[in-house]
Amino acid sequence: MPQQLSSKDASLFRQVVRYYENKQYKKGIKTAEQILRKTPNHGDTLAMKALIMSNQGQQEEAFALAKEALKNDMKSHICWHVYGLLYRAEKNYEEAIKAYRFALRIEPESQPIQRDLALLQMQMRDYQGYIQSRTTMLQARPAFRQNWTALAIAHHLSGDLEEAEKVLTTYEETLKTPPPLSDMEHSEATLYKNMVIAESGNLEKALEHLDSVGYRISDVLAVMEMKADYLLRLGRKEEAAAAYTALLERNSENSLYYDGLIKAKDLSSDDHKALKEVYDSWAEKYPRGDSPRRIPLDFLEGDDFKQAADAYLQRMLKKGVPSLFANIKLLYTNINKRDTVQELVEGYVSTPQSNGSADGSAAKDNNDFLSSAYYFLAQHYNYHLSRDLSKAMQNVEKAIELSPKAVEYQMTKARIWKHYGNLEKAAEEMEKARKIDEKDRHINSKAAKYQLRNNENDKALDNMSKFTRNETVGGALGDLHEMQCVWYLTEDGESYLRQRKLGLALKRFHAVFNIFDVWQEDQFDFHSFSLRKGMIRAYVDMVRWEDRLREHPFYARIALSAIKAYLLLHDQPDLAYGPLPVNGGDEADEAERKKALKKAKKEQQRLEKAEAEKREAIRKAAANPKSTEGEVKKEDPDPLGNKLVQTQEPLKDALKFLTPLLEYCPQDIEAQCLGFEVHLRRGKYALALKCLSAAHSIDASNPTLHVQLLRFRQALNKLSEPLAPQVAEVVDSEFEALLPKSQKLDEWNASFLSENKDSVPHKHAYLTCQQLLTPESKPETEKELASTLDASIVSLETALAGLDLLGEWGSNQAAKTAYAEKASSKWPESTLFRIA
Amino acid sequence: MVDILPLSSYPSYIDLLPAIQTCNITNLPENYFLKYYLYHALTWPQLSFVAVVRPRNGYKAGNTVAGEYPKVVGYVLAKMEEEPTDGVQHGHITSLSVMRTHRRLGIAERLMRMSQRAMAECHRAQFVSLHVRVSNVAALHLYRDTLGFQVDSVESSYYADGEDAYAMRMDLSNMWLDWAEIERKDRERQASDEKDADEGDEVGEVGKKEENEKEKEKMVRVKVGRSLGVGDLVERNEAQASS
Repeated sequence: MPQQLSSKDASLFRQVVRYYENKQYKKGIKTAEQILRKTPNHGDTLAMKALIMSNQGQQEEAFALAKEALKNDMKSHICWHVYGLLYRAEKNYEEAIKAYRFALRIEPESQPIQRDLALLQMQMRDYQGYIQSRTTMLQARPAFRQNWTALAIAHHLSGDLEEAEKVLTTYEETLKTPPPLSDMEHSEATLYKNMVIAESGNLEKALEHLDSVGYRISDVLAVMEMKADYLLRLGRKEEAAAAYTALLERNSENSLYYDGLIKAKDLSSDDHKALKEVYDSWAEKYPRGDSPRRIPLDFLEGDDFKQAADAYLQRMLKKGVPSLFANIKLLYTNINKRDTVQELVEGYVSTPQSNGSADGSAAKDNNDFLSSAYYFLAQHYNYHLSRDLSKAMQNVEKAIELSPKAVEYQMTKARIWKHYGNLEKAAEEMEKARKIDEKDRHINSKAAKYQLRNNENDKALDNMSKFTRNETVGGALGDLHEMQCVWYLTEDGESYLRQRKLGLALKRFHAVFNIFDVWQEDQFDFHSFSLRKGMIRAYVDMVRWEDRLREHPFYARIALSAIKAYLLLHDQPDLAYGPLPVNGGDEADEAERKKALKKAKKEQQRLEKAEAEKREAIRKAAANPKSTEGEVKKEDPDPLGNKLVQTQEPLKDALKFLTPLLEYCPQDIEAQCLGFEVHLRRGKYALALKCLSAAHSIDASNPTLHVQLLRFRQALNKLSEPLAPQVAEVVDSEFEALLPKSQKLDEWNASFLSENKDSVPHKHAYLTCQQLLTPESKPETEKELASTLDASIVSLETALAGLDLLGEWGSNQAAKTAYAEKASSKWPESTLFRIA
Repeated sequence: MVDILPLSSYPSYIDLLPAIQTCNITNLPENYFLKYYLYHALTWPQLSFVAVVRPRNGYKAGNTVAGEYPKVVGYVLAKMEEEPTDGVQHGHITSLSVMRTHRRLGIAERLMRMSQRAMAECHRAQFVSLHVRVSNVAALHLYRDTLGFQVDSVESSYYADGEDAYAMRMDLSNMWLDWAEIERKDRERQASDEKDADEGDEVGEVGKKEENEKEKEKMVRVKVGRSLGVGDLVERNEAQASS
């Protein structure tokens, strides 16, 4: 039998609840303990105490206490509710839902429990459960509009559009007169209903509805956009044209509106004259705009293009628009356009502008024009489709001479060095750019990025620290984590990966992974918040976006890198102890290896100790290690990632990154290829083949895929024990379509080469297969690899990949040196081929 | 070429938020959690805009940018003052930034004008306010000379590094919607509805309003800062264990 409280203690208990609500946790605990002195087994009080402790970050103790509370009072909804809340705090939503359900069975009328349950159902996308909860909540309080809206959302997201619309309409019909115009909630709910109707596919009805309600909706732009969209999709072209015209009058810098207008006007994409007229009319109407002047360059050809490009380039160069080149380079896939632009701008700098006056401002204008033109040419010759780095350098020097304070010019100089393959010089030059404008964070960020590319992690962090809050726990790096600075963490991690410092690399990739978890968790509060605010369309869009959060390129990038790190770790377990010299040759000296390993272990211990000392010093300096909001921030017990890197199961850990990657970015061929690598090593042949098939359907001639097909065939031939019959059957039949068993492999490889003979990466793949098929002819293969450097088309990046290949093949130092020397003489400015 | 797009009304480009956050932290010292951007996008979805680079050959889907993740080169993050001390509805620019590689195209001006118009139309904002570093000549020029803001006051040590800010504002009432006209249309429609009105059906039983249950949602104080997320915005009785 649960213990009862005296009336005095019962009022104390109410106080505990109040303290909790007001986040006065210390007082809450004190009062709870006061009750417990007299009634030590009072379940509800124990539960409240547990809840408060959980909010203070004492998760484990809180759980123990909550269990004790339940033991004392199994029939208390408070105990069950608290139990659920603790699970929720741990993000164990399934258990939390169970606990809430128990609580609700005991106290079916409880609004707070019902609400907490509903929120979790939404978070878990349990739409059927959510519909049920929301129906109950609506029945309890039908006077609240948000209860109606919430039920409609539940139906909508579950896919029942008809029911969603019906719920919204039912509420609307209770309104005798239209709510005041200031009622945003109504305005939004009306548009939401329109969105539901449109999604059901009945655009006629959506348009009709929009026409009848749109005039009193305050989100004017949304109504205009929806209307234009519906009209165009319905083929009501004349009205659609008018609607897009109205949108352009509001915002003439949105190319989607021009696209809509052109479609509505039924203009053929070949009718350049008519198209040009449309854009010209907008350029005339909004002379300061860019889009109507720039878009025609996409479709004009020949002399028309030249004329329009001339006018455009001169105008933008006079204005000194720094993004001019970024805007123009998109045209360069068309070689004629690329050459025309080059010819035009070279013309500007070779024939002095005649402006007929000698006064100072004209001279200055002329100077600005010239430096802009040189700057343009520098970027032009730095761009991969029009590259001539020495010309790029000459032009940037001229631009800098004319305008030595221009940060952008100096930035371009750094970029040119990057393309030369001299990352050290690039970082130095970018640092010079930073010093021109030390108050600007953009150039500061660039300087740090270039330092990371040059593997100068400490210098980069030092630069970053000029704009971070360094008093937070963990200093500048802690602040970059806290502020979710994904780009920096990614670059830092990739830099460590290049240096084979896998612990720190994994540390950064996991940090970004965790940021995505936080972003997913972020939606939780909006399940209730947005209903109160009434901004339903934005909320529904957010929910849908969260469902595809990890298709973001930021995620794909760290996932790919993390998987690479884990593969390295699997293949070379010694790397767990730090960067080790690459295995020198085929007969790696075991004693030598052990010596290096010992040294690495020592270094790792030294670093760990240094880090601990650094932290201790910081702790002592800051007597009060609290962040601004008073929460105690937990210190990271593994700042160097040593625990991560010393995993026993690198491949299993890689799955954490791989699984979402393959789910959300299945079209990323690199993801599929890395998926193959992981699954092959795990001996999961069916999964490995699945990746190959996916990669094959994305790009059948991909060079990485080509090598993997052969490796898969060889792996199947060499199985130590046969595959389970069902697996074997599937694998055989599916793989047959990619690389038939009867296929002569050397012929297959040769035909791959002849089909892709103008591509060095394909040649690399061909040679790798050669190496796999005839390992005994390695010296010849190596020589052939070196000869790929003679090709005029080979890029610096590809050449570097060639050097990595020699590593993969286990080639000896001599072969590597020969290759590197040859590459060095081809790219004398580059430092990338220095053999460490 | 740069396109100026709405962030989270219609169409919704809310998937650009991570790139907007990156744009912010690359350019400015004042940074926020993603949740703070979400909070803006979901509370005032009409007020924020984003500038993106149109990909080569346009957008793949044709009529939408969603799911394409183009490069973000600028944004304006804006809100309404939640509890104006003087009771006057007004908007506030939380953050505005354009990559320095994309300056001189008028992007910041256009972002500001779009946001200001939305504040006036959607929220009947009397004015819009913002803060700007006293040393930021270019921004000051934009706000004062191009857009027509006026300096309201100087707030000393407004920024974390100790720099002062100009508090600026600009009147927006000239862009308000004509409510009288809309109400006239309301009356017109009602009159024509009544002419051909049927007897209205009784609505479903759950739809019956209980007259006295017009509970007003408790006003909730909302405090937001650099390190506060919406977690702190949730009303206090959210996780109430008993009542």
